[in-house]
Amino acid sequence: MTEDPRLTLALALADDELIIGHRHSEWTGWAPHLEEDLAFSSIAQDEMAHARLLYRLIGETWPAQGEEDRLALGREPPEYRNAVMCERPNREWGYTIARQYLYDRADAVRLEALAASSWSELADLARLMQLEEAYHLDHAETWVRRLAEGPVTGRQRLADGLEAAIPEALALFEPLPDEPSLVGSGVLPSSSEEMLGRWLAALGESLEALSLDYVLERHRPVGEMVPTGSGEMAPAAPLAVPGVERVDGRWEHRGSFAGSGGRAGIHSDDFAALWENLTGMYRAHPGAKW
Amino acid sequence: MVRQTDELPAVDDEARVRAALRNVHDPEIPPLSIVDLGIVERVDVADDAVQVTLLPTFAGCPALDVIREDVIAAIGHAAGGRRVDVRFAASPPWTSDRITPAGREALRSHGLTPPSGEAPAATGGPIPIRLGSAPERARCPFCGSDDTVRESAFGPTLCRSTHFCNACRNPFEAFKPKLGRG
Repeated sequence: MTEDPRLTLALALADDELIIGHRHSEWTGWAPHLEEDLAFSSIAQDEMAHARLLYRLIGETWPAQGEEDRLALGREPPEYRNAVMCERPNREWGYTIARQYLYDRADAVRLEALAASSWSELADLARLMQLEEAYHLDHAETWVRRLAEGPVTGRQRLADGLEAAIPEALALFEPLPDEPSLVGSGVLPSSSEEMLGRWLAALGESLEALSLDYVLERHRPVGEMVPTGSGEMAPAAPLAVPGVERVDGRWEHRGSFAGSGGRAGIHSDDFAALWENLTGMYRAHPGAKW
Repeated sequence: MVRQTDELPAVDDEARVRAALRNVHDPEIPPLSIVDLGIVERVDVADDAVQVTLLPTFAGCPALDVIREDVIAAIGHAAGGRRVDVRFAASPPWTSDRITPAGREALRSHGLTPPSGEAPAATGGPIPIRLGSAPERARCPFCGSDDTVRESAFGPTLCRSTHFCNACRNPFEAFKPKLGRG
């Protein structure tokens, strides 16, 4: 049975928000200072609320999918469609900030597109989320600037974090199964390919302003990566290499792009532990309300 | 129940429900009624039910369930025995310019600076790099000074940011601006 492509799209959006929200929530009590405990806790709360709105929309549109708790907590790992980057452990502050920056920039690109979706309920949610995501992006941008313009250690950690996160961040724009039908019907007003191009061009421009665009340069030959365990990535031989390149003063991606599989339910080893933690209570007490 | 007139009874009842809603306050900001907060989007009175449509300030606001219970309790009498449904809608999104002047005064009385200035833009385009980053300057609710710095866009609740006043040396909180674009 093939899945309605709209369902895959909504699950991808919701699962990205849920899983990265879960990672953000792991900073609660552990962030470098109190303001960041509050910031990451608040961002996590927003992201999980957005996931909840999307799960609710899914449950209303396809009643067989069940209600929001079942969707958030009652699925098996291969049923989650989040991009692999979202499930990676927080590692350290430089990676955390780099990932948040890359993620929220990507989220801004796709929400801007989805705000014009022909699926009006989804467009409504995208417009609502945009207003809250603005603060997340502001947070990430402030930290990127602070680290990039600060002492060399912090700048280096940010650069290391960006280098580690960028190959997997590209896969936030992994094409969805049956994407042409979504684009054709206006549900997805821009293709993943177009959004990836927009994201990369704007990212390149912002990084150039901080003299950090060399982290993109280093990914020129890297190409597409597939997940293994935490922090390890192996090149995906059978997949096309997206590559990045500076053309006429603008960063572009090259070649077709198949993604690393998150949208099809393929996850890294890191997902298993996250899933155990996230869903343990729900699985231990089926039907519990809280 | 006995209706006093057959003419537009629902309109009178709607007015009564709306008046009763003024007694429901934001549980996190007690002086502020949900009407002045601008979250009451619709009141629909039918023969057998009253439906109140509210707009969450922030989607993840944990006070929503409390507000729902408070609304049901507050309008029970005005609803005249009808069933009361409270629903939260995602569209249109709530924006901070829906807070009424009385609501802004209530925020100030609670030591919270009303929303002002620009909300950050969330576009997919390049982000201008602002060297030295001008933090949002919220007016101090205690001494009225504008010589303040934003410590963080986040605070004890989703709708508040945290600030420090250089003039009276007090930390304070502001209600975040949330504004649609275009």
